[in-house]
Amino acid sequence: MFRFSLKNLFSRPVRTLLALCGLTVAIAGMVGLFSVADGIESSVAATFGKVPGLTVMQPGAPIPLFSRIPAVWGAEIARLPGVHVVHPEVWTRAHLIEGKPSISPPRFLFGSDLAVAEKLRYSVYREGLKEGRILTAADRGTQHALISRAIADQFKKEVGQTLRVDGRDLEVVGVYECNSLFLDVAIILDIELVRRMGRVGDDSVCNFYVEPDAQVDRDDLIERIKDLFRGRALETWQPTLDALVPNSGPDSNEKPKTIAAQAFLSAISEASKPIKQAASDDDPIEVRSSDDWAREFKRFSADLDIFLLLMTGIGVSIAFVGIVNTMLMSVTERFIEFGILKANGWSNGDVLRLIAFESALLGICGGLVGCLFGWLATLAINAHWPTRIHLYAGPRLLLWSVCFSTVLGVLAGLYPAIRASRMMPMDAIRRG
Amino acid sequence: MIEIENVTKTYRRGAADVRALRGLSCRIPPGNVTFVVGPSGSGKSSLLYLLGALDQPTSGEIIVNGRRLSQLSRRQRDIYRREQVGFVFQNFNLLNNLNAVENVLVPFLPQGISAARRSEAVDLLQKVGLGDRLDHIPNQLSGGEQQRVAIARALLKRPALVLADEPTGELDSESGAEIYRRLRDLRDQHASTVVVVTHDRTHIQAADNVLTLRDGRLATT
Repeated sequence: MFRFSLKNLFSRPVRTLLALCGLTVAIAGMVGLFSVADGIESSVAATFGKVPGLTVMQPGAPIPLFSRIPAVWGAEIARLPGVHVVHPEVWTRAHLIEGKPSISPPRFLFGSDLAVAEKLRYSVYREGLKEGRILTAADRGTQHALISRAIADQFKKEVGQTLRVDGRDLEVVGVYECNSLFLDVAIILDIELVRRMGRVGDDSVCNFYVEPDAQVDRDDLIERIKDLFRGRALETWQPTLDALVPNSGPDSNEKPKTIAAQAFLSAISEASKPIKQAASDDDPIEVRSSDDWAREFKRFSADLDIFLLLMTGIGVSIAFVGIVNTMLMSVTERFIEFGILKANGWSNGDVLRLIAFESALLGICGGLVGCLFGWLATLAINAHWPTRIHLYAGPRLLLWSVCFSTVLGVLAGLYPAIRASRMMPMDAIRRG
Repeated sequence: MIEIENVTKTYRRGAADVRALRGLSCRIPPGNVTFVVGPSGSGKSSLLYLLGALDQPTSGEIIVNGRRLSQLSRRQRDIYRREQVGFVFQNFNLLNNLNAVENVLVPFLPQGISAARRSEAVDLLQKVGLGDRLDHIPNQLSGGEQQRVAIARALLKRPALVLADEPTGELDSESGAEIYRRLRDLRDQHASTVVVVTHDRTHIQAADNVLTLRDGRLATT
C-alpha cells in the first residue's frame, strides 16, 4: 500500500508538487513566526539562567531602568543572614552614541559599584570578558567603560579607543560578550558616573543585585528581605519619561531631535506600564529571582504568541483550503481508479487508507521541507541581524510543525477520500 | 445458482434517464459458462455490473447462492467483490502507473503481497503469453495485451463468479480462443460460474447457457 501511494504521488508530479508547495510555504511561515516567540523565550532563559542572584527594586517597575529605591537600604539587606553581597546598580538609557540616536537596538548605561562588584562570586559580564579587562575599584571616578562586542562592532571600537556617549568620551578598557540580546546592550561604568549622566540622586539606586550565600533557600531569603522593609513608605512605580529623557552632561544640548526619537520614547513609556503589582500594599520593594524574570517575560510574550497564532492561523487556513482543493481535484480526476480498485475488491476503508497515506506523505514531506526552509531562514536572519533579533526554531517547534503538517495533510485529504470511498464502483467509473 | 428477479436499472446520463434493464428475470446455473448476448444498449453490461455488485438495481432482486445482494451491507458487498467475483472490463481498466504484475496483484494490495502470490501472478501472465511483458505499464502494452492482463487479474483470486464484459473484443481470434480456454479451465478446475457479455458468438459451445437481451428484457434463453 505504501509503495502504491508513493507511485501514485510520483505519477502526478505537477499536482504533487503544487500540494507540497502549498504546505511548504505554510509550514515555513509558521516556523518563522513561532521562532520569534521561541527566540524571545530562549533568550530569556539563556539570560536569566546566567543571573543567579535576586533583584531588589521598586514595586511595579517593569525593569530596573524605571525603578528607584533608597540607596541606604542596601546596607540593611547586606546585614541579613544568608546574603553574600549586595551590589547597588544604576541604569539609564544611552541616548546618543557617537552622535547618533541610540534607538534600535537600545543601549543602556549600567552603573556598577565597582568595589562591591569585585566581591561577587559570579558576574555575568566578568565571565563574558573577551578583550581587555573588567572594571575594578581602581576605575572609580574615571570614565572607563566595559562595552559589549555588539556595541564595539556597531561603532567599530576597540580596547583603548574612546566611545562618545551622551556627550562624554568613555575610554573602552574591555569588551564582553554574553550572547544575549538582553545582556549585550549594556555599557558598564562606575556607578557615580552613571548617576550624573542619568540624573539619579546620590540617595537612590535603581536596584540591588543580591548574591545569596551558597546554601541559602532563595524563597526564604526573598521573604526575609520583604519582611525587613514591610510597612515602610515607598511609592509604587508609575509610568514616566524621567528615566528616558536625555540627561545632563557636558553636551546636554545633544538631544534626540527627530520626531521618530520622541515617538519611540513615548511608545516605550506606554509599553512600560507595570507588569506586576507589589505583592501587598505594605511591601515597598519587590524581590525578583531569575525565575520571576523569566515568568514575567513569558507573560509578556504570551500576547505575542496570540498575535503569532492568529497570523499563522490565517496562513495555515489558506494553505488548508489550497490543499483540500488540490486533494479534491486529485481525487476527482481519479474516480475511475477508485472505481476499479473497488471493483477489484478494495473496501471503502482500503480506498480511504490509500488516500490518507498519500495525504500523510504529502503532509510529512511538506512539513519537512517547510521546516528546513523555515529553519534556514531563521539562521539567515540571525546571521544578518545578529544584534537586533534572535529567532529560534528549536527541535520542539520543528517536530511540532512536521506533526501539524502531517495532520493537516491527512485532514485535507479526508473529505475527498470519504467522498470517493462511498461511491459504488460503477458510479465512480461513470463519473470519471 | 444466480437468480435475477424482475430487475430494473435506470441511470441518469446528462438530463435523460436511461432505462438499461426493464424487469429482467432469469437464472444462471452454477459452474457453467453463460453468454449474455444482444444488441448494443440492450442492458448486457448493466446486468453484469449488477451481478458483480458494482452497481445497485433500481428495483428487483439478485440472489447469489441464496444471498440477496440488496441486503448485503457495504462491507459485505466489498467482501463479496473481493472474494467471490473476478471482473473483466470491456476497456480493461488497468491502473496506468502499475506494471503488468502489479496490475494483476491489485486486488491483494491492501493485504500485502506475499512472494507466493507474486509468483502466482507472474505464472498467470506467462500462461496468457505475457512472460516478456511483466514490467511493462499499460501504455507500453497493446490492447490485446492489456486485456490479457485484466483477465489474469480476474483469474488470480480463483473467483467463484467470473464476469467478463467483451473480454476478447480487442484480441485476435487465436488470443481470443486462448482466453476462452482459460475461462473454461477455471470453470472446470474450480467449479466457477462464468458469465460473459459478448457480441461474438463464435466461442459459444453447445453446453453453454445463453441469455439474449433486447431492450432491457430477456428475449430468449
